[in-house]
Amino acid sequence: MIMTQGATHKVVFTGDAKTYFGIWIKNIFLSIITLGIYSAWAKVQRRKYFAQNTIIDGRRFDYHATGKQIFIGRLIVIGGIITLAIPIINILAFIGLIIAIPALLNRSIAFNAQMTSFSGIRFGFKGTYGGSFLTFILYPVLSVFTLYLTYPFVARAVHRYTIGNSSYGTAKFNFDSPIGPFYKAFLLAIGWAIVAFIVAFIVLGGSHLIAALIAGAQQGLNPAILIFQIIGLYAALFIAVLPAMFIYQAFLRNAVYASTSLEGGHRFVSNVSPLQLMGITISNALACVFTLGLLVPWAHVRMSRYLADHTYVIAAGSLDSFISQEQVKVSAIGDAYTDLEGIDLGIAI
Amino acid sequence: MPILILKALTLALRFNSTGRVKGHAFNAHSSRRIPARLQWLGTIVRLEDADGILLHTGTVIQNEQISGGPHLVHIDGDWLFEVSPDENGKDIPGPQSVGYLSKLEQWHPRLFIIVIACLISAFAIWRWGIDFLIAIALSLTPSLFVEGLDTVNLAALDQTLARETQLPAETRNHVQATFAKLITKVEAPQWGQYKLYFRDIPSIGPNAFALPGGTIVITDQLIKKFETDKDIIAAVLGHEIAHVSKKHSLTQLYRAGSLYLLITLTAGDVGPFLEDIIQEGNLLLSLGYSRHHEAEADRIGIRIAQDAGYDGAALARFFEYIEQEEKQDDAFSWYATHPSNLDRIKQIKSHAQQIK
Repeated sequence: MIMTQGATHKVVFTGDAKTYFGIWIKNIFLSIITLGIYSAWAKVQRRKYFAQNTIIDGRRFDYHATGKQIFIGRLIVIGGIITLAIPIINILAFIGLIIAIPALLNRSIAFNAQMTSFSGIRFGFKGTYGGSFLTFILYPVLSVFTLYLTYPFVARAVHRYTIGNSSYGTAKFNFDSPIGPFYKAFLLAIGWAIVAFIVAFIVLGGSHLIAALIAGAQQGLNPAILIFQIIGLYAALFIAVLPAMFIYQAFLRNAVYASTSLEGGHRFVSNVSPLQLMGITISNALACVFTLGLLVPWAHVRMSRYLADHTYVIAAGSLDSFISQEQVKVSAIGDAYTDLEGIDLGIAI
Repeated sequence: MPILILKALTLALRFNSTGRVKGHAFNAHSSRRIPARLQWLGTIVRLEDADGILLHTGTVIQNEQISGGPHLVHIDGDWLFEVSPDENGKDIPGPQSVGYLSKLEQWHPRLFIIVIACLISAFAIWRWGIDFLIAIALSLTPSLFVEGLDTVNLAALDQTLARETQLPAETRNHVQATFAKLITKVEAPQWGQYKLYFRDIPSIGPNAFALPGGTIVITDQLIKKFETDKDIIAAVLGHEIAHVSKKHSLTQLYRAGSLYLLITLTAGDVGPFLEDIIQEGNLLLSLGYSRHHEAEADRIGIRIAQDAGYDGAALARFFEYIEQEEKQDDAFSWYATHPSNLDRIKQIKSHAQQIK
């Protein structure tokens, strides 16, 4: 086999809003008339659509879980939730759940990795109970005691644990980053929030409003007269502080991609801009609100395309040379648990 | 081998179907993407690379395609063939993942009906379905869990804001007697039982609150303030008892959870910012529900107090006092916690009049 020279591949997203709208609305329709049962199959189709339309170097991703697997996983989790409602047994079930959470999170990550393939080869994840406990439970709890000032360390630990224990075929992912970029994302976001809050408060006359409220209250005026000003100020402060969220997300994603590599010398680049990310997210949300949610699929496709357009793989050689690895099969229970509990591990992918 | 060829021949004779498409082949053990052709004769498929060199001969296990995705042909011997988008993969022999449901997702006037059906049912679920889900969840909630909530919350209160009561035993006995009279006028709670606790909590002033398992806490400040007005204490206690008997706190907790779950399970992941909007909106809605619950607790509380021989309208006097007090306090807390004290007083008076 001839080794090709290293090349930079842009990630390409080929999905379109029209096709996805049909899939999406059909999924909702069937989920409703089957009282939620179809949602397991719907999830599979959604994941398949987005995976198969994400292409690097002409090679597709794919998603391989079956609706039946997801459905059984969900049934087991719902069964578990019901045992939490049975007297006496529930104490044991509750203790069991607390102990099981790190393992459930591991299984959720592993299931999603194993069910995803690229160029015909599956991803993998091999975590440990201790690692999961430290990363997802102990460190976040400890950061509360530092008033979240050490939160960047938690964010880095989450990525080090999830990416560092992942693999593509037999090739291992590596994540190695100094703490600097994480603090940069965090401090820029916090800094923006504080400055924007103060500036907006002064510019919008927040102090006048408070003075008026106090004066009004002393004269027995009903403060309800000022309600629109109060709501207006609240909304303006919200809008001023909002960009902080996107500053954090964009810098975090870029930092994570820059610090990730795949065995064989393959590297990753993300150059998402906070301003564009914010523009897309907010206009997406407004479009969805004003169309009673009917533009959700369009918004989804639009965001996927934006992220793909700003993601690159710098391959050290041909992407032909990866080899698959035998894996221990993981059930869908962990995945169902994180789905039903709405757990988001905060991984910037 | 000869048998296989014979079989292939007979099948070919039977179906006489043949064809060929271009695409890419993958072997399960490697990421190598091989430009290839797939030819078939009957049910036997032959995979060869761009130079015509044989890669594999076998049969198709599955020929799958989702809307907007490529034809993916799984061939025995761990081979996968991805048909090029500009080729037709439909005629490749072998089991196809029959998408009779996938017809529903095509752009067709039928899709418009599906959209309307979804909008109508989304409204129906929001309007009635959630109440139904909450009712089921409430009926499944075990006493142990709710009593646990009471114990934990009371302990947390004792650790932080509350101190032991400073009231003389005599005063407490009087209030307990009132409380005992009141709870005979209302059905037993679904979980736990009605229990009254006295606590000295200067930071929240004259106040009382209820936990879902029947624990009701009244502050020394309230009792000292209205020691001479038994009716006020009875009406306030009636109000708190009503919160417990109508399960208001758990209802609100479940409402917040169920709407979110319904949306993510049906519409899927709605994206970062919209998710926040839904959660914030949910919070605003639950504020609306909490006002509705307050009004309900006022009405039932008045009824309980009247039935036990007290003047239910005294509740209005309590809110008149709060109104006076808070006028002197800073403006923000006044606005945030009691947006319509005056309304409320009016309604309490008229309701008490009605049931007299």
